[in-house]
Amino acid sequence: MRILLVEDNARLAELVRDGLDRLGFAVDWYDSVDGAEHAQQVSHYDLLLVDLGLPDGDGLDLIRAMRRRRNSTPIMVLTARGGLDDRVAGLDAGADDYLVKPFQIPELAARCRALLRRPGSSIDTVLTAGNITLDPSERSVCVAGTVIDATPREVALLEQLLRRSGHVVAKTGLESALYSMDAEVTPNALEATVSRLRKRLLAAEADVQIKTVHGVGYALFAPRLANG
Amino acid sequence: MDNAATSAPIGTGPSLFRQIAVRLAILTVVFAVLNIAIVVITYSRQPESLAQELLSLEASRLAASPDTADVHEGPPGSTHWQVRYLNQPMVHDPDHAMTHARAALVDWTQRERTSTGHRISGVRTIVQNGQQRWLFMQFEGEGLRPYVPVIWAEILQHAVLPLVPLSLLMLTFNIFAVRRVLDPLRQAEKEVDGLDPDNMAARLYEPIAPREVHTLVCAVNRALGRLEGAIAILRTFTANAAHELRTPLAIMQLGIDRLPESRDREELSRDNLYMTRLVGQMLDLAQADALMIDEAHTVDLADTARAVVTALAPKAFEQDRELRFEQTGDTVALGHDEAIFRVIRNLIDNALAHTSGGSPIEIVAGPGPQFSVRDYGKGISEADREHIFERFWRGDRRASDGAGLGLGIVKRLVEAHGGKIDVEDPPGGGTLFRIRLQSPS
Repeated sequence: MRILLVEDNARLAELVRDGLDRLGFAVDWYDSVDGAEHAQQVSHYDLLLVDLGLPDGDGLDLIRAMRRRRNSTPIMVLTARGGLDDRVAGLDAGADDYLVKPFQIPELAARCRALLRRPGSSIDTVLTAGNITLDPSERSVCVAGTVIDATPREVALLEQLLRRSGHVVAKTGLESALYSMDAEVTPNALEATVSRLRKRLLAAEADVQIKTVHGVGYALFAPRLANG
Repeated sequence: MDNAATSAPIGTGPSLFRQIAVRLAILTVVFAVLNIAIVVITYSRQPESLAQELLSLEASRLAASPDTADVHEGPPGSTHWQVRYLNQPMVHDPDHAMTHARAALVDWTQRERTSTGHRISGVRTIVQNGQQRWLFMQFEGEGLRPYVPVIWAEILQHAVLPLVPLSLLMLTFNIFAVRRVLDPLRQAEKEVDGLDPDNMAARLYEPIAPREVHTLVCAVNRALGRLEGAIAILRTFTANAAHELRTPLAIMQLGIDRLPESRDREELSRDNLYMTRLVGQMLDLAQADALMIDEAHTVDLADTARAVVTALAPKAFEQDRELRFEQTGDTVALGHDEAIFRVIRNLIDNALAHTSGGSPIEIVAGPGPQFSVRDYGKGISEADREHIFERFWRGDRRASDGAGLGLGIVKRLVEAHGGKIDVEDPPGGGTLFRIRLQSPS
């Protein structure tokens, strides 16, 4: 996974590159719009991290130019601009995510992974949280190395939650992912599926927790997150 | 008068109408005094005509009350007052009748000097009960005293009588002129009252006339232009400050994270996070101050509240807290999505910071353009309620790790929406913040 970092502050770029490097990302750094354009001509990147205020132009212009060329590489804006309309402006220009400085490496890495996992992006590997793993191609779930029984719907639910591990996944999104358009969805169907999955994971001594966010959705937390 | 004008303090100084009225009154009085002086001086230089007028005046008084002719005392300060009716001349001789009658009809006045003053005598024709009679009058007097009634009569006739209609005319003119001239000024006043730092592009209407008001309004508009420039500089500065402060903070944070794990690193990281939060809040506040909401901004409060809960739920779970969301009815409001996001986020952050234990925080959107954030903490005392929205105010400085800006940001953002924020005591304890926004038109 190669990431192109476009950032004019050398010290910040060095720290970001170093931090992501330790987590297994390969990061190339350029400090200008021209540099970024040049880099993309010579090599392929899976993700771009773009600062907005660059010495030879605005990062938003770089993003717009790329989208005009039908370049669909995921782009995350890394910026100090946290104004009320800045985030929307960034997303409207074609960015996929918008992260306001300052940030911490784990958060940045998590967002990078989320972008890289998006449909159409290059990776679709085994999903892991705590002591459970899910293989999306095999549709199988392991707890502490042992495969456990689960209905296809429960596997689909767990997959959705694992893909956004540590984050809340909206109920509506889960419902549309789990139930086909024509199937009758009773209001409690999703709740019942979550309940069954919880019991199954508990019985298998999984160390992750599925939390309910009333009125919004569900979130899966790995134990590491629980203690900070 | 509209609300803005009535709520504005009314000046204690005299109104322009009063100022002009006072000056007009002074002018009238001066004019009257001059008039009187001229009358007095003119007559005192012509004692003969004074005497003539005096006798005519006395005659007309006697004519009005013929029965008192005998007891009449004459002009003030006069002596040896005499008055008698003259017999009508005989008209038996038709040849001489005309001559006699003509001779008798002539009024005359005579003024003679005496040792002490002067003696006035004369004859006047008067008409009593439709009958013509001749009246002979004579008196002696000193100086101007006997002529006072004449002078008074003259003053009344020549000075006071013309002044009354003139004064009334000027007063009426004053009322209309002042109202008309001040109309553009009143208009400008209304517009100035409507000026808002949120809309610095607004200018006053520049009336063509009167030129004085035009000059003043133009000067105010030029001042507004300079003010707009200054505010623009301030806002640009805010944007620049954001960039300049956030990048070093990011560098510091990432640098700290690279240090080997230790207690010092933990503390440094915490201090840096506090600093980051403070800078973030100050910038949020600056942005809130600059926020302008127009009719095009609509927001679905339920969607925004769900997004905030989605973003903050992991943090709440870390603290063993729970966020609960509920939507009741339609929740579309006039508002800026990101601004409302920050309002809800700050209220939830505030609830998380000021309550403890496993109690949930409840967010309800609707019905209509309103939402509420409720906690089950110990509530906010009546005394603290008036302070919680003040910037940099903290209930307990030791207990709080915030800068006291969160609720200030909330208040400013809600105000920018033309909304209202209320603090309520819900049944079951805790605090409930209710925000009411406007419906999209």
